[in-house]
Amino acid sequence: MSDIGTDCPSCSGPIVIGDAFCESCGATLAEGAPDAGAAESPTAEMPVPTVPPATVPPATTVSPAPGALPACRQCGGDVLDDGFCSQCGQKAPTVRDHWQESPVDWVAGVCDRGIAHARNEDAMALAGLADRSLAVLVVCDGVTSAPDSDRAALAAARDACATLVGTPSAASQAAAAIISHWSAALVRACADGNAAAVGVARSLGNPSEPPSCTFVAAVVQGSVVTIGWCGDSRAYWLPDEGEAVQLMRDHSLGTEMMRDGMSRAQAEADPTSHTITRWLGADSFDPTPEVNSFQVASPGWLLVCSDGLWNYASLPVALQSLVHEHVAGGRTTPLAIADALVVWANEQGGHDNITAALARVQPSLR
Amino acid sequence: MAEFTAEVFQNEFLADGATDAHAVVSVSCRGAGRAGVSGDVAEVIIVDTSGSMDMPPNKIAAARRAAKVAINEIVDGAWFAVLSGHSVAQMVYPSHPGMARMTDVTRAEALQTVERLRSGGSTAIGSWISAATELFAQAPTARCHAILLTDGKIEGEPPEALPAALAAASGRFQCDCRGIGNDWVVDELRTIATELMGTVDIVAKPEELEADFEEMMRTSMSRGVPDARLRVWAPQGSELLFVRQVAPTVDDLTPRGVQTGPLVREFPTGAWTDEARDYHVAVRVPVAPVGNERLAARVEVVVNDEVFAKSLVKAVWSADADLTTRIDPAVAHYTGQAKLADAIQKGLAAKASGDDRTATVLLGEAAKLARESGNENTTRLLEKVVDVVDADTGTVRLKQQVDKSDEMALDTRSTKTTRIRREP
Repeated sequence: MSDIGTDCPSCSGPIVIGDAFCESCGATLAEGAPDAGAAESPTAEMPVPTVPPATVPPATTVSPAPGALPACRQCGGDVLDDGFCSQCGQKAPTVRDHWQESPVDWVAGVCDRGIAHARNEDAMALAGLADRSLAVLVVCDGVTSAPDSDRAALAAARDACATLVGTPSAASQAAAAIISHWSAALVRACADGNAAAVGVARSLGNPSEPPSCTFVAAVVQGSVVTIGWCGDSRAYWLPDEGEAVQLMRDHSLGTEMMRDGMSRAQAEADPTSHTITRWLGADSFDPTPEVNSFQVASPGWLLVCSDGLWNYASLPVALQSLVHEHVAGGRTTPLAIADALVVWANEQGGHDNITAALARVQPSLR
Repeated sequence: MAEFTAEVFQNEFLADGATDAHAVVSVSCRGAGRAGVSGDVAEVIIVDTSGSMDMPPNKIAAARRAAKVAINEIVDGAWFAVLSGHSVAQMVYPSHPGMARMTDVTRAEALQTVERLRSGGSTAIGSWISAATELFAQAPTARCHAILLTDGKIEGEPPEALPAALAAASGRFQCDCRGIGNDWVVDELRTIATELMGTVDIVAKPEELEADFEEMMRTSMSRGVPDARLRVWAPQGSELLFVRQVAPTVDDLTPRGVQTGPLVREFPTGAWTDEARDYHVAVRVPVAPVGNERLAARVEVVVNDEVFAKSLVKAVWSADADLTTRIDPAVAHYTGQAKLADAIQKGLAAKASGDDRTATVLLGEAAKLARESGNENTTRLLEKVVDVVDADTGTVRLKQQVDKSDEMALDTRSTKTTRIRREP
């Protein structure tokens, strides 16, 4: 990895890899941005997961006119160059606080600070091929109790995504072959994500409470979805018709309570239910992912999200009807729906960081 | 070209539901240059020549000497005039009603004329201020400054004369006020100094007057920035509670604020030399949910409508009590200094009205605040008026025998603050 590696996601100025802050604009930088090698990998035709865009994205998917001052998300007033609204004084979100990605039109996500937390410790990294043959969705949720987990989460998500992007698709179209191919790749990707999180800890001088994060990654090849995860960030299948399903089980005390016979409502109400039992980072006991797979039979939405979203709609059917409501309301692109889900979670209180990433999977189109 | 910096000291964290953001904005000026370099400067020296200035005669003699050193400090090319104040204001130099340009010739003439100052008549400060205002009107583009010396209280004019004169003078010139002896009234001079953005002090001993005048005029001559304003933006739905200068002296700017935009008020701060002044800004903002960060105030230093420095006062709502309960040391210090000034002024007023019980409580509180904040000058002045039994609890006894000028010094200098000791 070279010293001068890339551009600042905020101001596009040159940054030195490993620096915590941009020299030009002072923006907080994430560790482990994909280096040039990833783009030159055997699958170079696949879009490398993008870094957060260079401009602060507004809440809606409509970009402001060039030259116009960005609008305040709170009151619509002009945001001045000091980053605060000229009317209500609301601080405009930084790129790290709120960004969206849509590498291809059928894959998109929104990552948002929410309301209650001072920092956005969620992160995501997405990739996809325009011919709908392959998509990668990675979400990591930084553990708030450890400082700098925002950096660990972004580094882990990006490195894991880069590993998956760098893996050639399964040669065989047989479902079993695809599953075993991507299961192995997900284990490697999770290990690389873990290494990235550990690298952040190392760059900080190995603090006693090392930064750490959850991990969930979904790979869609054709109609086969393969998932790997550590912790309580989730993947759901939300079909247009038929029963929605949660594609994995949290590694959390809440899940253990349910396994021991407690109802979902009871378990989720328990204050310790969010305590995760598996995570990535220097202090992780077991950073190996659990792996699962799912074969899509009819059109629908693959949702990968952090608990900032599912806290308000834990049941698959609840998320399914939310998505259906938004589709019925005219939001038919993954980006529009992800944005609407984040807005909705903020309306519920935004008590945690919120990430919603979606892929539109339509087996008939393959 | 002058450079300004503005630095904010605050704890931006507010508890859930809290609304009041407090900050100390520390403004420093460098490279102010000298008066008269960019634009004209005009000086008027007003010397009380009422009959009492002869009692004892060393007062009028000291006034002559002081006026002369002040004249010597005025830079060449400046507009200047000397007024003699008694029942009316009378031109001393130049002899005709107007101002002279400072040259070697006019300086020599003025020095000679001042030597002939004689006393007689009463004290009509309102008419003196009005006369100065008229003189300054002849130098409309100049940065105007006056020195006013008196030894007595106003008695030669109706009570409404001074407020009317001040209303006409406000914003036209700055006026430093000095009281000599102990027959003048602290409140009268403080009112003038506050309204005309100048200093006020007691000169108890006539022999100290010369050095004081020299210093005042030298300071005025070093004020190369004619007028700086604090431009304060506060968000929609907020209330600007106060803007208060807290160092080097306590001076509430709030009533002087001028609305210049829907969310913007501007506060004149007068002329600047190379110096630092601290301002306490308090804004009541609409509540936002925990986790929100908003701007509570944007404080800019503006000279001739150009922004020279800018600072941001923030509000961040947090559920973390460790963050929200902390009080910024600068805000705490200056809140204490403002309370200290208030306790002294109210305590002395109570003492003057014979309410010894209230005076004892308030001056006791003052002793405690002065000790806590390390304001040694004020502690020393207080100890001439009260016996401090226990400064930690604020227990004091009023002294039976107090020199009146000590009490006036305490009153006059009550607004002088110590600057917060900052980490290097």
